[in-house]
Amino acid sequence: MEIGLKKQRKSSMLTVALIFKEIAHRKINFVLGVLAVAMAVTLLVGFVITEKTSSRETARIMLNMGFNLRIIPKDTDMNKFLIDGFSDQTMPQEYLDILAGGQKGFSYNHLLATLHRKISWQGFDVILTGLATEVCPPGKERPPMSYEIEPGTVYIGYELATRLKLKKGDTIEIGEQSFTIAGCLSESGSADDIRIQSNIRDAQEITGLKGRINEIQAVDCLCFAPTDDPLTILREEIVSRLPEAKVFQAKKIAEVRKQQRIFVQKYFDIIVPFVIIICAAWVGILAMMNVRERRQEIGVMRALGYGSGKISLLFLGKAVVIGLLGAALGFVLGTVLAMTFGPYIFKLTAGNIKPVYGLLGWFMVAAPLFSAVCSLVPTMTAVTQDPVVTLREE
Amino acid sequence: MIHLENVSKIYQTRYGTVKALNDVTFKVEAGEFVVVRGVSGCGKTTLLMTIAGMQRPSSGDVIVGGNSLYTMSIRGRALFRAQGIGFVFQMFHLVPYLNVIENVLLAGGAVGGTDTESQANRLLERLGLTDRTFHRPSELSAGEKQRTAIARALLNRPKIILADEPAGNLDPDNAAVVLGHLADFRRQGGTVIVVTHGTDADRFADRTIYMHDGRIDNFS
Repeated sequence: MEIGLKKQRKSSMLTVALIFKEIAHRKINFVLGVLAVAMAVTLLVGFVITEKTSSRETARIMLNMGFNLRIIPKDTDMNKFLIDGFSDQTMPQEYLDILAGGQKGFSYNHLLATLHRKISWQGFDVILTGLATEVCPPGKERPPMSYEIEPGTVYIGYELATRLKLKKGDTIEIGEQSFTIAGCLSESGSADDIRIQSNIRDAQEITGLKGRINEIQAVDCLCFAPTDDPLTILREEIVSRLPEAKVFQAKKIAEVRKQQRIFVQKYFDIIVPFVIIICAAWVGILAMMNVRERRQEIGVMRALGYGSGKISLLFLGKAVVIGLLGAALGFVLGTVLAMTFGPYIFKLTAGNIKPVYGLLGWFMVAAPLFSAVCSLVPTMTAVTQDPVVTLREE
Repeated sequence: MIHLENVSKIYQTRYGTVKALNDVTFKVEAGEFVVVRGVSGCGKTTLLMTIAGMQRPSSGDVIVGGNSLYTMSIRGRALFRAQGIGFVFQMFHLVPYLNVIENVLLAGGAVGGTDTESQANRLLERLGLTDRTFHRPSELSAGEKQRTAIARALLNRPKIILADEPAGNLDPDNAAVVLGHLADFRRQGGTVIVVTHGTDADRFADRTIYMHDGRIDNFS
């Protein structure tokens, strides 16, 4: 009598069904696995959102304090400038385009033109600040340091919003124009609390200074010429192109900004590998426990003719399910935590703490992969264990 | 059907060398019911696993159904086992999270087929398990568990059933029922090898082989 080898056809019990039935049976192992992945994803999502907010917060602080280079009208009374925080003179807005377009002698990372004016509004002395669209070098998109303000909308400082009981969505009149309040800023304890921020064109319209600005803030300017005194060269280079302007450097602020970046990066560099290693070990140990618990089941499957591929699939498939669920849960938890506690930490940009939906897609791919990699050694253990030994165990 | 030629299996342990099978040669014809009897540790289970293609012998040849098992690839041997050999274990080895019919169908997972579900239902009916179809192993008696294991072993219509102490955990009544089902399989043309240290299976056997220290002692 001969036993022929028939061609293998579709399984009568799908591997997927086996995975889910096992999950339903050993819930604790599964839940702990999901929690491990979710914990890693929660921390990473929370960290990314926080880091983004932190950068925005710094940018906001930097925006009010100044940038690496401040380019202001040449005739500015420096005494008044330092007291008020802005120039009483103006210069042409085209200066922004001149600086932005292909400079040979220097490079920059961000350029922001502003127009500040003190105006009386609703019985208060307020600072009206018009913000132009931030400019980055051509072909080098960078995360913006400020936010863009739509024409016809304004952001109201904390003091003004509180005193006048203004809120987001309200309509206000400034001069002869009406504006919708796009947001009310959190308390800053600075001149920002009495500031109204608008699109630069609206500010020019209100102040009657069409096509004029009174400052260009430039970040991370570099002088290309080999010199011991790059600032002097940089100044000469800029002033030669902008005859109505003068340049000074905000050195301390540049250093603070650099330190802040390094601090955040260091924090990220330490925390992330630590979290990943802990969670990887956690997932790996749980998978190993699962393999040990299922030794006889694996032995029976071997006896029934199941190959290594199918047995691997049972364990790796479970790891993928753990990863997918952990990613989804971790994304929600991380986002909720960042949005709940973020506003207490980042008061200036509280309104800008938003879910980063792009992360969900990223983690839905990365977390199952991570979980599968962590389960690789246990899976190998499962497929290489000797079924003869396990089937003898009582 | 089954032919073992000078088969030896040697284990290296920390206490020295153990000869689990010592130059074993014997034949089992198709349609035979053979009992292999011996005390614990005499090499019975090793013999069974060697015939099943799950334990490569240190030397010798194992020919089953005309195929020299250990010249086949691991995958080929697994498929051969899935299609041609059914297993029954003393400890039943049912998967705890699957119900009775799912446990039976598990045997079809490695082979596939179009009528496995109807075949599983037929087997459950034949083995008196219809009212237990959706019960989990934890809800079954020992006899029912072993009958489920027999249904699983029969699902792929194997030519051979290898049973390791199939009645070892059963009361005499259930032991008789289980061994009776194995005898039915033999009557339908199947080959049965039962390894045991007891005498329960003797009355169903065509032959009893005695093992001692990895050797075949004599035939009856």
